[in-house]
Amino acid sequence: MGILTRATRNIARRKTRALLVIVALSLALAMIVSIPPSITASQEATQKTIDNLTTAAKIVASTVNMAATQMDCNLPLTLRTDAGPYHNETTFERPLMNITEYSNLTYVQHVTYVVPVLEQRAYDWPYTVYGVPLDDATLLSSYPILLPANITAGRNLQAGDSGVVVLHERIANHFGVAVGETVNIFGRDFEVVGIEGQEALNTTYATMSLSDAQAITNTTGQASTFIVFADSVDNVYAVKEQIVGAYPKLTVTIAQTLLNQVYQMQRQTNEQLQQAHETMNQIESTGIVEMGIITIADSAIILFIMLYTVRERTKEIGTLKALGASNTTILGQFMLEGVLLSLIAGIVGIVIGIFGATSLANILLPQPITQTGIGITTSGSGTWGGSGSLTAASISVTITPELMLFGLGFSVLLGALGSLYPAWRAARIRPAEAMRYE
Amino acid sequence: MNELVLKIENLTKTYKLGKRDVQPLIDLNLEVRRGEFTAIMGPSGSGKTTLLNLIGCLDKPTSGSVLIDNIDIARLPESQLYKIRRDKIGFIFQNFNLLPYLNARENVELAMELAGKFKGQRKQRALELLATVGLSEREQHRPQRLSQGEQQRVAIARALANDPAIILADEPTGNLDKNSKQEIVKLLANLNQKQGATIIMVTHDEHIAASAERILFLSDGKIQEKQA
Repeated sequence: MGILTRATRNIARRKTRALLVIVALSLALAMIVSIPPSITASQEATQKTIDNLTTAAKIVASTVNMAATQMDCNLPLTLRTDAGPYHNETTFERPLMNITEYSNLTYVQHVTYVVPVLEQRAYDWPYTVYGVPLDDATLLSSYPILLPANITAGRNLQAGDSGVVVLHERIANHFGVAVGETVNIFGRDFEVVGIEGQEALNTTYATMSLSDAQAITNTTGQASTFIVFADSVDNVYAVKEQIVGAYPKLTVTIAQTLLNQVYQMQRQTNEQLQQAHETMNQIESTGIVEMGIITIADSAIILFIMLYTVRERTKEIGTLKALGASNTTILGQFMLEGVLLSLIAGIVGIVIGIFGATSLANILLPQPITQTGIGITTSGSGTWGGSGSLTAASISVTITPELMLFGLGFSVLLGALGSLYPAWRAARIRPAEAMRYE
Repeated sequence: MNELVLKIENLTKTYKLGKRDVQPLIDLNLEVRRGEFTAIMGPSGSGKTTLLNLIGCLDKPTSGSVLIDNIDIARLPESQLYKIRRDKIGFIFQNFNLLPYLNARENVELAMELAGKFKGQRKQRALELLATVGLSEREQHRPQRLSQGEQQRVAIARALANDPAIILADEPTGNLDKNSKQEIVKLLANLNQKQGATIIMVTHDEHIAASAERILFLSDGKIQEKQA
């Protein structure tokens, strides 16, 4: 029978009180052990979102740069009149340019590529033939935006292709052809290698190599547009000025609208990133505040219960002192009772935590955000970035052995903290007064 | 003539009761020899318990000295006084003051545990003491399962545990029925005669006091000895 036995028996003596205290403390300690792993799990989930968003932001940024360096150079539209079966048909037409006449475009300072493309449409045809040079593999890999995006069947065009075509879905439907079949365009048969899906902004092109397009439309050596790429966004305006200076008739169009849309996308991604960071910080600060409150509440429970116990057992303290117990012995006994009570609650709390940490985490902490539907799509004339939407997600929390030890240590600390003052008061009670106490 | 175990000189105790100063003991002098059985009588409020508390180091005197085995306890700090209580004093209270969550043997052992005695040693001694007070069969019983007389006997065994210089008994029969009173008085007298225990007993019961070899009266803060 030592100090530990006395402490244990004193706790056991008032079962209902001890039980209530243990229930209250154990719930609080279950929260204490659940919060740190919940913070970690939430932060991991949020960090994943942040990583995804960062990746998206990088893609958007590179797309911005690529799109921003692009300029379309062509001659102003003219009216064209064709003889129709019943009457003349008048349409707007893009005048063609002899490629050789514009060979100096390549020498304009800060220009990396000059890409002649041909856009030709017969008035009675429901589609436009679009020719892209397919002889430069480096160009195509550097500027994938030159080729159709959103291939839904078959493959895209590639360097060296000839006699093949990628059809817009509507054209394929019009002719009733599928990948691998042949379609006759401007009197020549082409093998359909890919189908381009329908998108809001893309044009109904039959895309083929520039030389094929020139051949079937009898426009060899000609182009309707020069797509010029500058070496950086900063030099776009300078390049434009030089081109207009050298070729006053040319209209140079910068992809301003597209740029604005891409910038908006970037802003949106940044906002979402910020939101994710804020959530992460909020999770941590909420967790810390809650742990602080629980710690104080726990200590307060132990403090008040032990103060009550000391008051209730004043006469016993007097007896112990009369029998020769030192102040240290009294202090030790009452502190041990507080620690023991807290430790039992800690063990119960850990068991509750093992089974209920996930539920507790979802109740106690703001839910981390996860991001869905991230993606970048490109279409014929530009590139679109999409960063999807942010949604709240629940997390799964596990109590590790380290956390169990932390929980036990924490409950010992709480018990010691909460019972320190009551135990000190018990030790300081003057024996004569304690003996008189009823 | 036995040596002095207690010597009180010019002991005065003053304390405040509300705004009033109360002085239950004034320049009190008392000597007790080893092996004496002394009864202190006096009306309620005469300062009997105050005197016992001062001898038992539960309270500190306002002035004067209290020497137990030549140690002036009036000058000792609390950090030393608990040792005097533990090693020199054995207390017997009117309300027994047993710890309800310990059984009879453990209550007796408690005093020895506080004195740092080993488990085997204190268990054997506790059983011997319980046998002395006639409670060998009751060692496993907690106080609530003992009669009041039995509880007081456990308390007496506990008071003897560390072989104290003085046993202080404060109205030890105050809460007992007639039969139990006789038993306890007999037991105390026996301890005094057979084991040579020095007992100072406070009582207001003349019959109980009569069992002591020396009877003192406390009134007006001073001791008067009843002449045989």
